[in-house]
Amino acid sequence: MSVCTISVSDMHCAACAGKIRRALTTLDGIEATHINPVRRQVLVEHGRATDPLQILNTIESAGFTPTLAGLDDHDERQRDLLKRLGIAGLAMMQVMMAAIALYAGSFDGIEPAYERLLQFTSLLFTIPVVCYSAVPFFTSALSSIRGGGLNMDVPIALAISIAFSVSLHATLTGGSDVFYDSVVMFTFLLLGARYIDNRLQRRFDLTGQLLSALPSTALRIEAGERQPVPVAELAPGDQIWVPEGAQIPVDGTLDGNTALLDEAVLTGESDWVEKQTAETVYAGTLNRGAGFGLTATRTVDESRIADIAQLAEQAEVGQARITRITDRIAGIFIPSVLALAALTFVIWQFVDPSRALMAMLTVLVVSCPCALSLATPAALTAAMTRLRQLGVVLTNSEALERVLDVNRVYIDKTGTLTTSRPAILHTEVLDSGMNQAECLTLATALQRYSSHPYATAFEHAGADSGPGWTVEDVETVTGGGVRGWISADAGGPSAEFRIGSASFAGASGEADDRSVYLARAGWVIARFDLSNQVRPDAMASVTALKNLGIAPVMLSGDSPERCAETAAVLGIDFLARQTPEAKLAAIHADQQRGARVLMLGDGINDVPVLAGADVSAAVVEASDLVKSRSDVLLLSRRLAPLTDLFRVARQTRSITLQNLIWAAAYNLTAIPVAALGLMPPWLAALGMAASSTLVMLNATRLLSVAPTEAAPGMEA
Amino acid sequence: MEILVVLIPVSVVLIGIAAAIFLWAVNNDQFEQLDKHGFDIFEEDSGDEK
Repeated sequence: MSVCTISVSDMHCAACAGKIRRALTTLDGIEATHINPVRRQVLVEHGRATDPLQILNTIESAGFTPTLAGLDDHDERQRDLLKRLGIAGLAMMQVMMAAIALYAGSFDGIEPAYERLLQFTSLLFTIPVVCYSAVPFFTSALSSIRGGGLNMDVPIALAISIAFSVSLHATLTGGSDVFYDSVVMFTFLLLGARYIDNRLQRRFDLTGQLLSALPSTALRIEAGERQPVPVAELAPGDQIWVPEGAQIPVDGTLDGNTALLDEAVLTGESDWVEKQTAETVYAGTLNRGAGFGLTATRTVDESRIADIAQLAEQAEVGQARITRITDRIAGIFIPSVLALAALTFVIWQFVDPSRALMAMLTVLVVSCPCALSLATPAALTAAMTRLRQLGVVLTNSEALERVLDVNRVYIDKTGTLTTSRPAILHTEVLDSGMNQAECLTLATALQRYSSHPYATAFEHAGADSGPGWTVEDVETVTGGGVRGWISADAGGPSAEFRIGSASFAGASGEADDRSVYLARAGWVIARFDLSNQVRPDAMASVTALKNLGIAPVMLSGDSPERCAETAAVLGIDFLARQTPEAKLAAIHADQQRGARVLMLGDGINDVPVLAGADVSAAVVEASDLVKSRSDVLLLSRRLAPLTDLFRVARQTRSITLQNLIWAAAYNLTAIPVAALGLMPPWLAALGMAASSTLVMLNATRLLSVAPTEAAPGMEA
Repeated sequence: MEILVVLIPVSVVLIGIAAAIFLWAVNNDQFEQLDKHGFDIFEEDSGDEK
């Protein structure tokens, strides 16, 4: 299956979105269509046999102008709008000036010659507005009609063209009822609203922000010289110099001794981290210490930041359930508005024909459902952008709604509640022929192949293996450990070594899950006792979760005694030594009792448990399989972003609700007032413009939700 | 009031000039990143100019 992202710049509303969706269903090989009206993008999942060109053609024949996304058409659109807006503004000043004179003249009397002169002056300035500034409304309305639907530009285009033609007729036939001022004002205010909305949208442009964290050039070390090269040209194996204060251009391993990095762009964690030689450093992060060299391990496209950008992109284009409901409301809305406007005109003919036209125009302009159709997507997009900044990536936008119901959080203990780097507390040598250093060296040699969190304890534990050492036929056994053949000198006799759990290594007696056993040819030769400490920030996060009414539960493979120890420190429930089946059963039991469960896991064995939870979350270090099955990705091992997720979700709900109530209230009050002829045209245009801008502005409030801090008062 | 016959064409010409200047400015990126120059002082001199 392939995915292609298409920008449709003239998709302004829900009705357009619906039309594109319908048009695409006629095409063979389309698996799913996700439409994001805020970013004006369509994400199509299609079979290999389907040509993206076909998709573009289909959208085009529905009356839109699609372009493959990736090109930055945002700037171009913005500049185009600004030009149209500026011209409309300049013209409006002149037309208003003439309008004041004409209004005064209609009260106090005016010589017909001057009235003509002022009318023609207004006409002269209105022509560029109608023929240039207002063109986007006309083309968009026309293409929607051609496509067999109605979008929200149809009422606007109708209002502008009716007002202009009536005025033109009056000017040419010597009448005195001209509405040039209304024409230019409608155009100016509506264009202004569109310009502001466009600018606000840019702040929601998450992927753009992420990728702009990448520098465009890097210093490659070629024959001892630092040569600037484009980042896109960097290949794995390249030596790259990262000067002080610069951003790391691509993922790689550190060559220098240590480096001080600000990884906030990736993890949302504001504390700087120190990296040691050969540790992985990530593209986009900031060098806060002295300059250092690194060896690229990936290209820019494969770097973690690009992965995250892509995941985020997919989620963002996906649509939540509420959005579809609003789509339907807006889809019914426009035909009703047109009918209502016509009805207004007819009724006013009997009451006061001179006011009929103005009342109809006001209804057309005031009733645009843009606010209604933007209410939900704007809030959702803003929420996802903010969450990303806080270190949470939603891979599924519907998850944000499900998060609201969660009242129980299962946390797999390893790494999230306790420090991710266990330390070797004690080494017990069980074979009289070995010493402690030898055992550590052997263990280090084997653990290098393991991705289990415990393996990191051994990273710098043993001396580097001797020059002739060979480690062969290494195999990692999930849930067990690592086994391999080690010989002291190349070609010499080798023995099978195992390191891992008690049962894997063949140890008898009381098994302890926090100990790692080393065995040679089936005989246990050493035991390493590891310690895990409660992470300093876990305490604050647990308290914050409880304050939100969410009960955290610790899941662990550890013995009940050890769990009780950690759980008592944190003051939470725990489930010790659970198989995945038992964890799943526990979650199901909770769900039966009416609880909604979020599961935070990181191991492959957690996949079924994650699938059973209402919301699944994984940390970024988790394997790809786990990440692909998770709704939520935490970009650091801290728990704080998880509490941020709940807070942002709740804030999003209230902002969406405010937006919907405001939009509905605006339309329900403005339309009757306009139909009754009680609303001046300038207020209609201003109200319409303000209604959608207010919705966007309200959504931007989500961008400033403060992160959960380990505030001292939180313990109380 | 006869002066209007002169003043209105004058205003038409002036507005024409204003519009031309405005369009020139937009086309030459004068409105791009209005807050960018405030941050310029934090940028290190790249050294490639001079």
